[in-house]
Amino acid sequence: MADASTGVLRPRINWQSLTTLAVLGIVGFLVLLPMVFLVEESLNVGDPMAFPPVEFGIANFVSILEEDLKTVVNTLVIAVMATVMAILIGFTLAWILTRTNVPGRDKLERLMELPYYMTPLVGALAWAVIAGPKSGFINQIWKAVGGTGDIADIYTHFGIAWVMALFEGTVAFVMISASMKSMDPALEESARVMGASKLRTTLTVTLPLVMPGVLGATLFVFAEMLGSFAAALVLGIPGRIYVITTAIWDSTLAYPPDYGRASAMGLSLFVVMFGMLTFYRRVIARGSFTTISGKAFRPRPMDMGRLAWVLFSICALYVALAVVFPIAALLMTSLQRFATVILGQAQWTLANYQVALSLGPVRTALLNSIMLGLGVATVGVVIMALLVWIIYRSQMRGRGAIEYLVMFPQAVPRLVFGLALLWAWLNMPVGLYGTLWLLALAYFTVMLPLGVRTLAGVVLQIDKSLEECARVCGASWGYQMRTVTLPLLKPGILAAWLLIFMACVRELGVSAFLMGPNAKVIAPSIVNAFATSGTELTAAMALIQTFTVIVALIILFRVARGMTKELQ
Amino acid sequence: MSTTRIEVQDLVVRYGDQVAVNGVSFTVGRGEHLTLLGPSGCGKTTTLRAVAGLEHPSGGSIRIDGQTMYDSAQRKNVQTEQRGVSMVFQSYAVWPHMSVFDNVAYGLRVRKLGAAAIKENVERALDLVQMRHLAERGASKLSGGQQQRVALARAIAFSPTVVLFDEPLSNLDAKLRAEMRVELRELQRRLGITSVYVTHDQEEALAISDRVIVMNVGVIEQIGTPEEIYNKPRSRFVADFVGSANLIKGKPAGEGLFAVDGGPTLKVTAPHRPHGKESEVAVRTAYIDLEPRPGDNHVPGKVRQRLFHGDFVQYVIDSPVGALIVRRPPVNLLGEGAEVTLSFSPEHCVLLEA
Amino acid sequence: MKVFAAVATALCAVSWAGWSPAVAQNQPQNQAKLCDKPRQMEGFKTCANVEKAEAEGAFTLYSTDPEQGQVKLLAAFNKMFPKIKTSYVRLQAGALYAKILSERQAKSFLVDVVQISDMGMILDFQRKGGFRQYVSPEMEFFPKEAKSKPEGFWTWGSVIMAGIAYNPNNVSAADAPKKWEDLLDPKWKDAINVKVSNSGLQHGVWYMLLPILGGEYFKKFGDQKPRAFDSYVQQYGRLVDGQDKIIMGAQYSGYIEFKAKGAPLAFVFPDTGVPAVPETYGIVDQAPHPNAAELFMDWFLSPIGQKALAEALLLHSPRPDVPPPGGSDTVPLSKMKLLSPADWEAFEKDRPAFAKEWNRIVGTGR
Repeated sequence: MADASTGVLRPRINWQSLTTLAVLGIVGFLVLLPMVFLVEESLNVGDPMAFPPVEFGIANFVSILEEDLKTVVNTLVIAVMATVMAILIGFTLAWILTRTNVPGRDKLERLMELPYYMTPLVGALAWAVIAGPKSGFINQIWKAVGGTGDIADIYTHFGIAWVMALFEGTVAFVMISASMKSMDPALEESARVMGASKLRTTLTVTLPLVMPGVLGATLFVFAEMLGSFAAALVLGIPGRIYVITTAIWDSTLAYPPDYGRASAMGLSLFVVMFGMLTFYRRVIARGSFTTISGKAFRPRPMDMGRLAWVLFSICALYVALAVVFPIAALLMTSLQRFATVILGQAQWTLANYQVALSLGPVRTALLNSIMLGLGVATVGVVIMALLVWIIYRSQMRGRGAIEYLVMFPQAVPRLVFGLALLWAWLNMPVGLYGTLWLLALAYFTVMLPLGVRTLAGVVLQIDKSLEECARVCGASWGYQMRTVTLPLLKPGILAAWLLIFMACVRELGVSAFLMGPNAKVIAPSIVNAFATSGTELTAAMALIQTFTVIVALIILFRVARGMTKELQ
Repeated sequence: MSTTRIEVQDLVVRYGDQVAVNGVSFTVGRGEHLTLLGPSGCGKTTTLRAVAGLEHPSGGSIRIDGQTMYDSAQRKNVQTEQRGVSMVFQSYAVWPHMSVFDNVAYGLRVRKLGAAAIKENVERALDLVQMRHLAERGASKLSGGQQQRVALARAIAFSPTVVLFDEPLSNLDAKLRAEMRVELRELQRRLGITSVYVTHDQEEALAISDRVIVMNVGVIEQIGTPEEIYNKPRSRFVADFVGSANLIKGKPAGEGLFAVDGGPTLKVTAPHRPHGKESEVAVRTAYIDLEPRPGDNHVPGKVRQRLFHGDFVQYVIDSPVGALIVRRPPVNLLGEGAEVTLSFSPEHCVLLEA
Repeated sequence: MKVFAAVATALCAVSWAGWSPAVAQNQPQNQAKLCDKPRQMEGFKTCANVEKAEAEGAFTLYSTDPEQGQVKLLAAFNKMFPKIKTSYVRLQAGALYAKILSERQAKSFLVDVVQISDMGMILDFQRKGGFRQYVSPEMEFFPKEAKSKPEGFWTWGSVIMAGIAYNPNNVSAADAPKKWEDLLDPKWKDAINVKVSNSGLQHGVWYMLLPILGGEYFKKFGDQKPRAFDSYVQQYGRLVDGQDKIIMGAQYSGYIEFKAKGAPLAFVFPDTGVPAVPETYGIVDQAPHPNAAELFMDWFLSPIGQKALAEALLLHSPRPDVPPPGGSDTVPLSKMKLLSPADWEAFEKDRPAFAKEWNRIVGTGR
């Protein structure tokens, strides 16, 4: 054995360092440069259209406090209300689905994802139809049973918060249930063995243990609520309620556009969100009191007896409120000539769908969105896998900075980032503005946190020694990536691809600023339609978009299942 | 020079502010089986990984087969994949998405051997670990013990001259561990592989090593053959960590004598040059007899506790030199309260250097 | 961290290096004249090079009109010239103008013809050299005030006027407002909607009614807490479903459009008069499809195009030889008491003050 030929190991170029430097440069350019422009513009107190600004000052920031105080207060009030509701929803659902023996648990868990596909925009439109004053469904029924006035008005602070919470509730649910799932069941069992009742165990053992997870989710959700745009746009303006995001949107639509003011507001929002997210990360990093070993615990659920059916109906209620009622409302509206919900007066028609489908721009917008989704997801996933490897597995010196950069867009509200991108690319010597290429770049940049986070979760599960062993066997970095790392990442890559695709098709905040006549995408088109084409047509468009996304997803799931079968 | 395979000199490895390996030096000879032994956190795994190139040291040098792999002064650090050493990981690191054959063939494929040569080498390696019949099975479907064998086969398939073992048996149950230990040693001897082995199990270390290096908090406590380590521990740590020993405090009282604190004077041996400041002696529990023998130290005592361990019986005996633990073959058991005279020779009463 | 700092510095350097100088002021343009031999097409005359236009194959319009209407209008053009693919962007006047200016600053030239319903912005754009002068053979049929001086920079494509609208199902004939002053009645509090300050028409309403009704009127009007919307489609929709009762400054063309669809609506022309502003069209300088742009203008300004506009958007044409849109009960321009600004420059200067005050009235909070 000792004298068998063993082949030759040749020295190779240090591809790792080169790649890392290149990646750092590109990501830095995409992520930081718009922010630099944003900061610069926020200090512009002279001509808002001048570039570069000639007069600098902090007047924009000062005037936020002086003149926009009401907006700031609105934003905080709505965000707090929405967060509280979302966390309540998320916590309740998480507890029911991970800790109790509610019937149909697996199916319910799957259903909990549905609101995510709905998107807050479509949800807001639907709830406007359901709970609008005077003519919303609810008020209709109220009048029919003899009531006077309105019992529901969606165009209020509470209404906006309600819609936001309904759809953000799924995010809270996912985060909190993850933390509940990772708890060692023995911690609860030892309490029960000592005689504690189910309620007492929940209050004294379960609750304190998941608190860090809940706290983390609260911070995260609050940060998202601050930057939320769609619901405030659809439901805030009829009620004359402006939040920071809609105020920014408004500033850029006026003539002359007040980019300085918009930038200052955006930057302030960003700073607050950034603070929240830093805090959130610190809470999470301090670790939870839950034990997380390599194994995933399957906590033993509590037997709730007959109460289980009550819990089931709570879950069903959530699905109804978030998915079933909105879709039904939109369906009804889209099939009517005038969006009257006064069924007696309704004139039924398919014209809205005919118009929506025949509207060239709608078709183009939908196609563009799907194309962008396919492109950005495919290319993005490869680049992000590389990024994830560099950040979490390599020994490269710049990798901390890369992680920071890649997660950065998370802290910037989409709308603000869109504004920053607009301002940056308006003034670049490269004529990318108004093209699909710019949208693709922008999507890629804002999807970085999402993709990297998903892939990182998978990468970290891969035992480091699997890769080290390959290298000890003599494999170069490239060979190791190809033969060991990437094959093991396949399921994660698939998941990330799907998430990115969906996020692209729903994207609103960035697209609203960067669209051009030949680069229309679907979500801003729906918003536009809401403003200019009446509710019926908008409802039809929204349903077409939702339907397309679902069809695309089903196709993709089938393909995905085929691919993962290969792995086994 | 040609008898030394690996030379490590003044190796320092830092993790941030912490120093994991603090100036470690040793050599490994051709065909030698050297074990790094110590508790968790002592730096043994870090040292091993540094030799493999998986850790980036802060100082010192590493040479394999006379070639410099790492040298802080020369600012030289050779990449892992070019060092030509092989490694068996604690978690086996068997790739779940490949078959057993592909796992073992990996290193050969990297070296671009022909298909026939690969097949030959793989089958030979699998034969050595008796896994040939499972060559086509998916690696994720193997038991722990089987994975361990595959990892071993993979490590030797491309005929490396050096194999590094990172606690390869710690995930196996006790019985399997004992069996595998022997097989490993056999394999290593047969193939003449130079091996560096890391473990925290002192029994394992003593059983299969040519030499043992005992480490503690990043430094080497003692280097020696298993017998030397066991019979002539240099420090309290080694005496305590390897095997079981009684540690008796006192002061040297002249040549070959040790005055126990508040007790009698014992006859002792010092494996080192006595410097007069020693404060402890160590007596292995296995070396204490329950009947007086001529020439030994004799200490009267009373049995306080008896625990039956199966292969041996352990007594705790109160005596003028303190409570002594004694391990004896499990016959002629003494009852609690029995009075005995403990007897141990001066060779077995070792003056600890530190 | 050193790496991070280096990257950040490099980026700052790039950003400073990459800035483009401010938009160049307008260059004096050569006086364009009507071409010698206009070509007779089916129903209109054109000076454009039709072959070149078709070779360009595309045409982009920016306009404040509702999307559906724009689609219909462009479809009519496309029917006559199938080789020219049309696209559009719809935004309210202020937003549209802001977008065009931004694009030009970015040296992005994406639009061929622009329509803005605010003359102030039109004049500003002309001053900035945003229009390309093109004299269409159809322009001679337009009244003098409906054209730029000199001719060819911009032309009025339609005239829109604003009155009062309500839903007779929710507002009885007795309660219905007949004068602008009636809107101050407390029973209309929280029940009135208007357009956003971005709208050219809304600016016109303000500008013309302020001297007639006085500043007190608008102060009290603010107490009615009107809601502002971006498009008349939303405004009329809310009348139909009962969320609002009155539109102050209701666009007549919207009324005609909705009425034709069968909506229960009534329109009031107060005796004081109805403020009216034009929707102005012009070819953009450095348009990506200049020949298609010229062809479009000729088609659009002709009776054929104007009729297509009337069908698509129910708008009144400034051309006296084009009949009013909709059915026989549409009031023609000649029978309306139109209130339009005499001095468009003064109108333009008034905009910032109007925007600020109007935003306050509708509760944008700033």
